[in-house]
Order: sequence, then structure tokens, then C-alpha cells
Amino acid sequence: MKRAQQWACAVLCSLAAGMAQARTPVFELEIRDHLFIPEDIVIPANTKVKLVVINHDVTPEEFESYELNREKVILGGSKANIFIGPLAPGIYPFFGEFNPRTAQGRVVVE
Amino acid sequence: MFLNSVVIVLREVLEAAVLVSALLALARGIRLGNRWLWLAVPLAAAGVTLYASFLASITDALEGAGQEVVNASLQAGVYLLLVPILALSWSAQSRPRLLMILMAIAISLAIVRECAEIQIYVRAFAALGEHAAAVWAGSALGMGIGISAGVLVYGALRALPQRWALWGCCTALALIGSGMLMQATLLLEQVDWLPDQSPLWDSSAMLSEQSFFGELLYAVLGYEATPGALQVGLYLGSLALAGVALWWGSRGGAGHAVRE
Repeated sequence: MKRAQQWACAVLCSLAAGMAQARTPVFELEIRDHLFIPEDIVIPANTKVKLVVINHDVTPEEFESYELNREKVILGGSKANIFIGPLAPGIYPFFGEFNPRTAQGRVVVE
Repeated sequence: MFLNSVVIVLREVLEAAVLVSALLALARGIRLGNRWLWLAVPLAAAGVTLYASFLASITDALEGAGQEVVNASLQAGVYLLLVPILALSWSAQSRPRLLMILMAIAISLAIVRECAEIQIYVRAFAALGEHAAAVWAGSALGMGIGISAGVLVYGALRALPQRWALWGCCTALALIGSGMLMQATLLLEQVDWLPDQSPLWDSSAMLSEQSFFGELLYAVLGYEATPGALQVGLYLGSLALAGVALWWGSRGGAGHAVRE
């Protein structure tokens, strides 16, 4: 009986973990002509979110943020996932390292 | 485009240059010669080319976590190679071949990690034509400044008095390696392989990671303005392990192990 309870608990826990994974909100960010679209991404506070960055340019770009501690190369015509958070409310700038003059954006946590 | 190329290339080269310089200074100090570079240079060149060519497949691997996992492994690999190097350096003449192989692989991993990105950048943007000259010139200048900083580190370590020279090189390598291992955890947080850490402190107002000095400290100590508990704990733990290896080696542990 105890064994069955343990099993049930294990199954329920893994289901819960799976659902938590599925509930991670997804936000899309595009790169076009060395610009981030949208420039401001508003995400909820204290929540882990998944950023899907789609690079429509032919050139690669590196998503970089000192405030978020994130850096990732996204090749031309491809996309990449970046998880951020849970974060405290505030503004976290990011930029494209290969085109920092134009590719600027902010994660606004509310 | 010119200035941008300088900054990008400098940032990447700086990290590799500091590690390479400290290892070169160590090799010189323990009279290992430079033969091991004949292994390191082709290994690094092959690694950089392979990594840059397969970046698309690497990025998509492991459900999109490939790039981070490979980079974190490269950085952790450098640290794991540095630990035995620190222990063996004190009795270098008893196992020179092993030491040379370890050093060659460590340098190659660091160069692949830092320089593959340069190749991706230069290849793509120099191909655009209109900016090619600016990209090449800027990259060359960035590389020149980075290598100069490495030469300075090498000079400083070589200028240490004889009795402190080995300690100096090994301490520098322990700090660089621990910093790289700590930074690897941030990459794994980015793909959700590790839980995101809330920062223990924020020193970005005091020393920004974006300033030149911040970048230099990043290269030497793995400086992080907003580290979490995991980062601080791992950094101290890996420094302690490197310290044990150093202490064991300096007491003749590695020499005895070889003789037995």
C-alpha cells in the first residue's frame, strides 16, 4: 500500500512538473534589419519566461544582456530559445552585440 | 562597423589571451619549452573551424540548448584540465609529456570557446562587401589590443621573483579557471538546465561589466556584477579545489605519486 502511495506521489509530482514546464509563458522577439521587434517586451514579475528570438536577417546576431546575464548567437534565418527570470520588477536592457547601434531592446518586468 | 569590430573581437580575445599568457608563463617558468604549442595550435584551429561550421546544428541540438551546453562544457573542461596542471607543475620534469598534453588541450578549449564567435562574426559581416574593410581592420586592431594585454600579463608573471613565480602563475590560473567554471553556470541557467538564481548583490554601479576594467576582471576573475548563491558557492568551491591541488603539488605530492 505504502509502495502504491509512493508511486502515485511520484507520478503526480512528475505530472505537476510537466505542467509547470508547459505553463512557462513564451514571448517572441524578432530581428529584422538589425532591429529588435518589439523593442520593449513586457513580462510578468517573478515568473520564468521563454524568449523565442527569430532572426529574419541573413547575418548572425548575438543577443546580449549584462543585466539579464544572457548571451547567445542566433545565426541568420534561424531562431533560438532563451529562458529568463523569475525577475524582480524593473527594466533590463539587451542589445545585439553584432549591431549594437541599432539592435537595442528592453525587457520590462511588471 | 570599425569600432564595433574592435570591441567584439577584443572582448573575446581578451579572455583567451589572459589564459594563454598565464599558461605560457607557467611553461616557461618550469622549463617545459614551447613544443606543446605544435599540438595546441592545430588543435585550436581545427576546433574553431568545426565549431563555427556546425553552429547551426549545435544550436538546435538538445532542444535548443546545444550552444550553451557545448560552451559550458568547454569552460568546465578548461577548469578540469587546469586542476591537474596546477598539481603537476611542481614536478614538471617527472611527467613533461602529460603536462604538455594537458596544457595544449586546455588552451585549445579556451580558444575554441572564445574565437569561434569571432569567426562567425567576421565571416558573415566581411561577406557583406560594403563594410568588409572596416570589419577586417577593426578585427585586426581588436585582436592586436587583446594580444597586447596578454603580453602584459605574461610580462608581469615572468617579472615575479623566482621564488614567487610558480605560485604567481598557478594562482592566476586558479582564478581564471574558477571564473570560467562559474560563468558556465550562467549559460546553463539561460537554457533552463539550472534554476535562475536571484542575485546576492549588485555591484554594477561600482564596476560595470561593460567597462574595460570590468571586462578585464571578467577575463581574469570571471567578474560578475550580479552573482547568485550558486555562482558564489561554485566559485569559492572551485578555488578551494584548485588550492588543494596546488598545495598537494607544492608539497611534492605529484612527484611522489609518479615515483611510486
